[in-house]
Amino acid sequence: MENYLLAMAVFAGLYALMALGLNVIWGLAGMVNLGLAGFFAVGAYASALLTVRLHWPIPAGWAAAALAAAAIGVVVALVTARLRGDYLAIVTLGFSEVVRLVASNEIWLTGGTDGISGIPGPGRAALSALDYNLLYAGLVWVAVAAVAAALARLSAAPFGRVLRAIREDEVVAAVAGKRTLVFKVQAFAVGAGVLGLAGGLYAHFNAYVAPDAFQPLVTIYVVLALTAGGTGRMAGAVLGAVLVVALQEGTRFGADVLPGFTPVQLAALRAGAIGVALILVLHIRPNGLLPEQVRHHRRAP
Amino acid sequence: MFRPTRRAALLGSLAMPFVARTALAQAKEPIRLATLTPLTGAGGSYGPAMVKAVRAVVDALNAAGGVAGRPLQLQSEDDETNPDAGVRAARKLIDVDKVSAIMGTWASAVTTAVAPLCWESRTMLFTVSGADSITKLPHNGYIIRTQPNTELQSMRAANHLADAGAKRVFGLSAQTPFAVDSYNRLAAVLKERGTEALGDVVYDASKTSFRSEVDQALRTKPDTLFLNGYAPDVTIILRELYRAGYEGRKFTFGYAANAKMLESLPAEVTEGLVAFSPSPDLDSPAYAAVQQSLGTDSPDTYSCQVHDHISMVALAVAKAGDATGTAIHDAVRKISQGAGLRVTSASDGLRALAAGQEVNYDGASGPCDFRDSGDIENCKFRFEQVRGGKLALLSIS
Amino acid sequence: MPADALQLLVNGLMAGAVLAVPAIGFTAIYAVLRFPNFAVGGMATVGAYAGWVANTRAGWPAAASLAAAFAAGSAAGLLSDWVALRALRPSRGGTGGALAAAIASVALNIVIENAVRFVWGNDPRGYDLPVYRDWRVWDLRIGPQQLENAAMATAAMAALFVFLGSTRTGRMMRAVADNPALAALKGIDAERVAMLATALGMGLAGFGGMLTGLDTSIDPLTGFRVMLPVFAAAVVGGLGSVPGAVLGALVVGVGEELSLLVLPPSYRTAVGFVAILLVLSFRPRGLLGERAY
Repeated sequence: MENYLLAMAVFAGLYALMALGLNVIWGLAGMVNLGLAGFFAVGAYASALLTVRLHWPIPAGWAAAALAAAAIGVVVALVTARLRGDYLAIVTLGFSEVVRLVASNEIWLTGGTDGISGIPGPGRAALSALDYNLLYAGLVWVAVAAVAAALARLSAAPFGRVLRAIREDEVVAAVAGKRTLVFKVQAFAVGAGVLGLAGGLYAHFNAYVAPDAFQPLVTIYVVLALTAGGTGRMAGAVLGAVLVVALQEGTRFGADVLPGFTPVQLAALRAGAIGVALILVLHIRPNGLLPEQVRHHRRAP
Repeated sequence: MFRPTRRAALLGSLAMPFVARTALAQAKEPIRLATLTPLTGAGGSYGPAMVKAVRAVVDALNAAGGVAGRPLQLQSEDDETNPDAGVRAARKLIDVDKVSAIMGTWASAVTTAVAPLCWESRTMLFTVSGADSITKLPHNGYIIRTQPNTELQSMRAANHLADAGAKRVFGLSAQTPFAVDSYNRLAAVLKERGTEALGDVVYDASKTSFRSEVDQALRTKPDTLFLNGYAPDVTIILRELYRAGYEGRKFTFGYAANAKMLESLPAEVTEGLVAFSPSPDLDSPAYAAVQQSLGTDSPDTYSCQVHDHISMVALAVAKAGDATGTAIHDAVRKISQGAGLRVTSASDGLRALAAGQEVNYDGASGPCDFRDSGDIENCKFRFEQVRGGKLALLSIS
Repeated sequence: MPADALQLLVNGLMAGAVLAVPAIGFTAIYAVLRFPNFAVGGMATVGAYAGWVANTRAGWPAAASLAAAFAAGSAAGLLSDWVALRALRPSRGGTGGALAAAIASVALNIVIENAVRFVWGNDPRGYDLPVYRDWRVWDLRIGPQQLENAAMATAAMAALFVFLGSTRTGRMMRAVADNPALAALKGIDAERVAMLATALGMGLAGFGGMLTGLDTSIDPLTGFRVMLPVFAAAVVGGLGSVPGAVLGALVVGVGEELSLLVLPPSYRTAVGFVAILLVLSFRPRGLLGERAY
């Protein structure tokens, strides 16, 4: 049981990192980024390829994962600079799908749908399964804490304030003299970098990457996590991620209790329950479980 | 008045369970096994029947007293046709449910992702996935695959087509790990037999229309089309071929043309389609057992394979006298191949083993003889043709 | 080569016409309710299955089954909107803003997909309708089924245009879409109009779901597969613009087909998105801009 819980803690941590990355781009800067899975994939493949094919040390792989994703984040931000809201959403979603398709088809580079297996993990051979999971869970959550702290400071700093200003009204922010494009690109780069780091950590824990792991469903769950947890607050992102993973795994055990249904029906109930739970959270707390504490300057009606 | 007697009775009744428990402990300890199949996601049309096939064998064995007096306990998880969901499910099965064997992983990406968890925890993995890379992983014997690898399938398919008189063959493939490989091998054998391999097109299986891909295929004027996809996309391609007026040969894998899929299409669209699957001999009792448990004359190949998975697990446990993953790993080839008495069902095999004999299990998907790599040595294939919306057996070879 | 390009163009127009139906539904709901309602995907599945039940269990012919698909999409859409989305809608002053409702609609899709799976399982289902051979016109292959689908899609669109342009209710809908505050001043009940828009939009989604299924087969993932192209089409055309959704659907359909001239079919979706990016780079608010009724 401990092994399993530790592994789930790793997954929750990875989701938390992704939600944190999304929080910078969407929560703070208001840019609807549905290309999460794409940046996650870039980081995962970058680290996997460098460590498996070129035998780079694992930490270098992780650094490369974050940098590669950040670099691509800059490109995406520049290309989509003029787009807003749902228009940005569809293009970033498209980016994510393009990454997945390239990974599926360019067999010479990525192994295609066969994926890349045998990705090394730090100390995997030497440690027992339990110790390895413990190590990795610790590693991931240290990363989560570090990233969350750094981003919280960024959020409270002038950088964060400008991003929020851009989120509320970009025109006003521009008039106020802020070069909004620079800030947006920076936000995108930071967020994408965090997503890439998550991807790198994922690749080495799973020891295997394949395009099927980067479908839009991943993006959907991270968005659900952030929304349920509370957009804008770093703690909200982490909480939401833990909630989503808890729902995904908790419902598994619930299925054991229900007799009389076929396996397909149980699977359907399980997945449906996750959807229902998230809708309920949104109804009870539309701004998330930990909403952003923004000082409201109430205008006279 | 009754106190002494009651106290004695109370103490006695407290002690009884302990005595009983230790005495029966070994015998009642269930054998924990699991299926990990796609119940949702792209492979969702395959998983449920597989679980049903395994459950049927488990129920039958339990009704007859279990294996070595121990009941079989089956856990069924959904891998959602997604490697990450599969990994999480596998971790739960291995660490929480403590199963000794996982059966039925279907998507190659799921199997590749789950495999290290299995061999590291010494849990036996039985899979129906097709990607060749799976058995090349360093699994130490903890993977057994009942699905023929690409080389075997392509070679048999090519020879059958050449025998049937095909002169111009074109391939339509879904994007899978074996798409390119299987066409290339097919083409190589066809060329040896004097048949032209015109080329292939790889499509994105998640689309809802393949008109242009079909156009591309038909432009090469083939007399035979090799449909290398799964039921959802092959369904659409068959419709498209009918609309385009294609009258030539259509050839596909059995899993793409299962009974359910054929039911969803009009008879004229599927007429003449030839499907091939790994197969036991004609009149195999194992095959008949799957026909019965699924209630159909044409059970799909995956269900036949998982029927063999569970049967082999049961026999391996009985042979080893122990139900751990390592025990199954050590014993599986002793009961699946070799010089023992040929048995075609788990119950027959259990009886023979109890009587001290050696057994050689031949199953519903073939002789079930495995190399060290985990691949099957060889097997026959059944070639079936769709006539009037139903599969009719052409030959087994 | 030119003959091939022409065939691809024809294929693309046919595919685009079918895609246009749910795309219009999606964009119409956006125009009135001011949020992207992704449950359109789920309603496409519901409509497809409703039509299937009507056709194979009750023996109804194609037209009646399509009506059943529309009705089912409409009813299910209204019900799920009432239960899951109403309280979150931006027009009702929901504190979450457009985000909460949109996210909830995504979760709703998951629920609907699994409800369908719960009842009917994962097996692909086919309609009890004949498959027709294609016609050969010059060197082109044109399917009567595709033509019929395109014709029905066009008829639905035409009916919608008439409704919006000429009927009182239609004009009320446009008023609310154009300027909710002014419409409220003129005494139009925004909530009723919102429900009407949902009923209409989800009905079209259901109708479109069955049209797609006629060509292929249906399973619980039918709507999910169609949701991405629908969203893309609506965005490309300009969110909230009904003619824009039609144009966007045709652009997406044709773009994906023409891509086969230069790239292998496995990259079709990618090219579709590149096409979308190109369009939006020149017209960031979509081809026809927003709310161009």
